[in-house]
Amino acid sequence: MERSLLVKELENCLGKDKVISDPVDLMYYSYDSSFLARLNRFIPDVVVTPRSTEEVSAVMQIAYANDIPVTPRGAGTGETCGSVAIKGGLVMDLSPWDTIEEIDVANMQVFVRPGVIHAKLNERLAEYGLFFPPDPGSSIMCTIGGMVANNASGLRAVKYGCTEQYVLGLEVVLPNGEVIVTGGIQSRSIKNVSGLNLTKLFVGSEGILGVITKIRLRVWPKPKGRGIVMAVYPSLDDAPASVLEVYQAGILPSGIEILDQSAINAVNMYRPEINLPQGEAILLFEVDGNPSSVEWEGLKIKEIASRRASQVEWATEPKRMADLWEGRSVVATAAARVRPDGSRVFAGEDISVPLAKVAEALRSIRSLGQKHGVKVVNYGHIGDGNVHTAPVIDPEKPDEVEKANRLVDEIHRLAVTLGGSTTGEHGVGAVRAMYAELEHGPAVKVMQAIKKALDPKGIMNPGKVFLPEGE
Amino acid sequence: MFKDTPVVREQIKKCVRCGKCRSVCPIFNEYRTENYSPRGQVFMVQMLRDGVLSVSNKVAAKLGDCLMCESCSSICPSAIPVPELVAEARAFITEQRPSTSKKLIFEKLWTSPGLLRNSVAAAGLADSLGLRSLARSLGLTSILPGDLPRAEKILGKIPRRSARSQLAAVMPARGTRKTRVAYFLGCGTDLLQPEIALATVEVLTHCGCEVIIPQDIRCCGVPHLANGAKTVAEKLVIHNLNILSKLGVDAIISDCASCTSTLNGHLYRPATVIDKLKNSSNSAPTLAEKTIEAANWLKGKVFDLTVFLVDELGLPTEIGRLMNSVVVTYHDPCHLVKAQKIKNQPRKILQSIPGVDFQEMVGADTCCGGSGTFGLTHYDLSMKILKRKIESIQNSGAEILATSCPSCTTQISYGLREAGLNIKVIHPVQLLQKALIQH
Ligand SMILES: Cc1cc2nc3c(=O)[nH]c(=O)nc-3n(C[C@H](O)[C@H](O)[C@H](O)COP(=O)(O)OP(=O)(O)OC[C@H]3O[C@@H](n4cnc5c(N)ncnc54)[C@H](O)[C@@H]3O)c2cc1C
Ligand code: SF4
Ligand code: SF4
Repeated sequence: MERSLLVKELENCLGKDKVISDPVDLMYYSYDSSFLARLNRFIPDVVVTPRSTEEVSAVMQIAYANDIPVTPRGAGTGETCGSVAIKGGLVMDLSPWDTIEEIDVANMQVFVRPGVIHAKLNERLAEYGLFFPPDPGSSIMCTIGGMVANNASGLRAVKYGCTEQYVLGLEVVLPNGEVIVTGGIQSRSIKNVSGLNLTKLFVGSEGILGVITKIRLRVWPKPKGRGIVMAVYPSLDDAPASVLEVYQAGILPSGIEILDQSAINAVNMYRPEINLPQGEAILLFEVDGNPSSVEWEGLKIKEIASRRASQVEWATEPKRMADLWEGRSVVATAAARVRPDGSRVFAGEDISVPLAKVAEALRSIRSLGQKHGVKVVNYGHIGDGNVHTAPVIDPEKPDEVEKANRLVDEIHRLAVTLGGSTTGEHGVGAVRAMYAELEHGPAVKVMQAIKKALDPKGIMNPGKVFLPEGE
Repeated sequence: MFKDTPVVREQIKKCVRCGKCRSVCPIFNEYRTENYSPRGQVFMVQMLRDGVLSVSNKVAAKLGDCLMCESCSSICPSAIPVPELVAEARAFITEQRPSTSKKLIFEKLWTSPGLLRNSVAAAGLADSLGLRSLARSLGLTSILPGDLPRAEKILGKIPRRSARSQLAAVMPARGTRKTRVAYFLGCGTDLLQPEIALATVEVLTHCGCEVIIPQDIRCCGVPHLANGAKTVAEKLVIHNLNILSKLGVDAIISDCASCTSTLNGHLYRPATVIDKLKNSSNSAPTLAEKTIEAANWLKGKVFDLTVFLVDELGLPTEIGRLMNSVVVTYHDPCHLVKAQKIKNQPRKILQSIPGVDFQEMVGADTCCGGSGTFGLTHYDLSMKILKRKIESIQNSGAEILATSCPSCTTQISYGLREAGLNIKVIHPVQLLQKALIQH
C-alpha cells in the first residue's frame, strides 16, 4: 500500500490529530535508549497515537489487511530497540493513552491503560496506602504497558519479583484486530488457574504477539518502615557470600545492590560529597516492612555482614538513607565520569547470572573490558544475580564503537556460559535476538510456532525477541 | 561555527536518550508525543549538526518549541544543557536565514537601552494604539504573526514611566551603610514593572545598602539567545561584564531570574564567550583579557534579590504586620528554581511577614508558559500551559501570587485577568516593602 494512501486511511479512521506523518516528525521515533538506535536511524513510515481499544483494533485491521509491520511503543525508554520500527511500517505510540480506569481498593487491584507512567500510578495508589511493587530505575518515565511488555522489574525484585507476578489479566488486540481478555473476561479474582495462562504469555512478549490495551494489576499494601545497611568489602568474593548468609539467616531484604570498585570510583568522581568508602565492593541491603521487624532485620544483617565487611552502617534516618541510596541511584549516570569525553552506552547492560557466579562474572567483565580496551563500570541487583555493565566510550568514534560491540557480544556469551541469561529485566528486543538460539536451543522453535499461530503474517514488531525461522 | 561550538561538539553525545526529561517538559506535557520531547530537541540539534537535516521552516519550528525553562536539564542525569543546545541551533538557523525584522529588534532596538525605553514609553503614552503602533513602526509584526491584539492583551497596560526615569543613579543607605551594591535593572522590571524596582531600591536602602544603578548597562541577552541572536547576546554579556566589574561594588543584585541566570553563567556561560574571545583573532587581546578578569571578578558576586536579602543581609527583625492579612502563594520562576536552584529564600521572605498566610500551591515549580517572547510567538500552546498554572493558583486559595521574574509576572497576570480572578501578582520584595513602611 502506498504510504500516502495508508496515511489517508489512518487519518480517516483516527482523525488527523492522532496520525504523525511529517518526515521530520517521524524521525523522533527512530530511537529508544538503546545503543543500536544511537548508531542507526530506524524511521517509521507513520506513527499513530490511538486512545481506545476500538482505535487500536481499527489500526490493526488496516495493518493486517495491508501487511504493514506494527511496532507498539510506550515511552521509548527500553534499552533494546524494542519500540523502534527496525523493519519500517507503523509505530503505535501508546504513551499518551494514560488513564487509570479504576482503583478497586476492596479487591486490591487496579485497571490501567497502557500509557500510565509507573511513578504516577504509585503516587495515586499511595493515597490508599497501596503500591505496585516492581520499581524500575525508569519509574518516572516508563509506561505500565512497556513494563508489562518487557516484564520489567527493578531494585526490589529480590523480594517483590517482576511485573509478571502482579498482572492479573490483560486486554489485548491481536494482529488481525480481534480483541481478547486474558485471566477471565469478568474476573476480579486474584487466584485463577483456569485455562492456558495467556496472561503470562503476553507479559514479556515485547509487542510481538499483540497490543496490550488494558492491564489489570494486583496491588499490595505499602510497607510502613524502611532501613538500609551499607557494607564495604575489601574482597569482592565476600560480597555474594554475605548475601547468602543473610538469606540463610531467614531474611529476605527488599533490595540488595552491589557497586564494584569501578562503580565506587565513578560515584566518588561524580559526587565527591557522597564519599563512598574504598573497597573491592559495596553492598546496600534494603529492608522494609513494619518498623519493629525492619529494626530487627537491619541489625541482624549488620551483624552478619560485619563478619566479612571492613565497615558496616545501619541507617533508618531518612536523610542518611537517601544519601546512601543515592550512591546507588547515581551510579548509572556517574559511570560516564570515568571518561570526561565519553558517554555510557546501553549495551550488554543487563546480564543475569546465578548468585554463586556473580563475583566471577564481575571479574570476567572487568578483564573483557581490558582485553577490548573499553572502560566498564559494573553495578547491579546482586540479590538476584542481575549485573548492569556500563561500557563508557566516545560513541562518535567508529573504532570505539567497534570495540564496544565486540565487548558486548562477549559479555552476552559469558552470561550464557555461566548458566545465566543475556537479559535479567530489560528484555531482548532487536539487540539480543541473535542469542535466542544459544540461550534457548530448540525451545526457540516453539516460540516461533506460537508467534506464527497468533501473528501468521508476521506483522507484529518484526525482528524482535528471536530471529524469524530460517534467518 | 555551529558544529564546533563546545556545547554542540561535546554534549550531544552524552545524551543517553533515557527519556527522563519527558517527565518534566511543559511542552511535552501538552502534546505527549516524542516529537515534542527534550530528548527530541537534542536529537534535532544533532541532525542539524550532522547535516542529516538542513535548515527548513519545519526544523526551525521544531526548535522553536522550547521554552528554555531548564526543567529538562535540571533533572537530566547527564546534565545535558538542552536550552543551550537549542539556542545554538536557533543561532545557526538565523545565520542561514537572516530575518530583517528580527535583526532590527534584536540587534538594534533591544541592544540600545535608550531606544527601547523611548519606544516602550511611546507605546505607553499612545495607550489606545499601544503596542500595535509600536510594533508596526518597528516591523515587529513578523515575529508576532497575526497575534498583535493578543500580545497587547498579554502585556497589559504599559507603564508611562520607566523605573530608571524615577530612580537616581546612586541611592544612599538609610542609616549606617553596610554595603555597596549595584542593582542590575533588567528590561522587564524597568519598563513593564517599574514598581518592583522602586520596592527593590527602597528595601535595599532600608537594609543598609548604598544602591548604584549602572547607567550604561544593556539587556542581559536572554531574549536574544532565545531568538537566535546569539552573537548579539554574547556582545551584551561582554559589555555588561566589563561595566559591572568596574563599579567597585560588593555585590550585583537583580530581581529578575533571567538576568541573574545570565550574569552568573547558568543560562549563558561566560566561559563560552571567553573561550571564543580567546580564540578569535579579531578581538583585541586586551578585551579578552579584560573580560576574563571581569568574569572572574563577578564570580560569587551576583545575587538574586531574595537570596541577598535572606542569606547575605539577613531579613530585618522589625517587620511590621500587614494592615490586612492575606493568603499568599508563590510561583517558582524556571530560571530561578531550575537554573539556579533557588527555592527557599523567596518563601522565607513571605513567611517572615506578619499577616501573610503562606499557602504552597500544587506544582509551584511548573512553568507558566511565558518565557519572554514565547507567549507571543506560540500563543495557543503558551495558554494551555498557563491554564494549568492558573487553576493551581486558584485552588491554593491565594489572594496574592508572589513570583520573582518579570516574564512570569506578565504571563500570570494575564492568565488571572482572563480567568476573571481578582488575584494580584507581586514580587516578594513588594510585600516586604509594604510591611517595612507600615512599621
Ligand atoms: C535509565 C533507565 C533505567 C532503567 N531501569 C530499569 C530497571 O530498573 N528495570 C527494568 O526492568 N528496566 C529498566 N529500564 C528499561 C525500560 O525502562 C523498561 O523496560 C520499561 O518497562 C520500558 O517501558 P517503556 O514504556 O519505555 O516501553 P518502550 O521502551 O516504549 O517499549 C518496550 C517494549 O514494549 C513493547 N510495548 C510497549 N508498550 C506496549 C503495549 N502497550 N503493548 C504491547 N507491547 C508494548 C514495545 O514494542 C517494546 O518492545 C531502564 C531504562 C532506562 C533508560
Ligand atoms: S537529555 Fe538527559 S534526560 Fe533527556 S534523554 Fe538525554 S540524557 Fe536523558
Ligand atoms: S528547556 Fe523546557 S521547554 Fe525546552 S525542552 Fe527543556 S523542558 Fe522542554
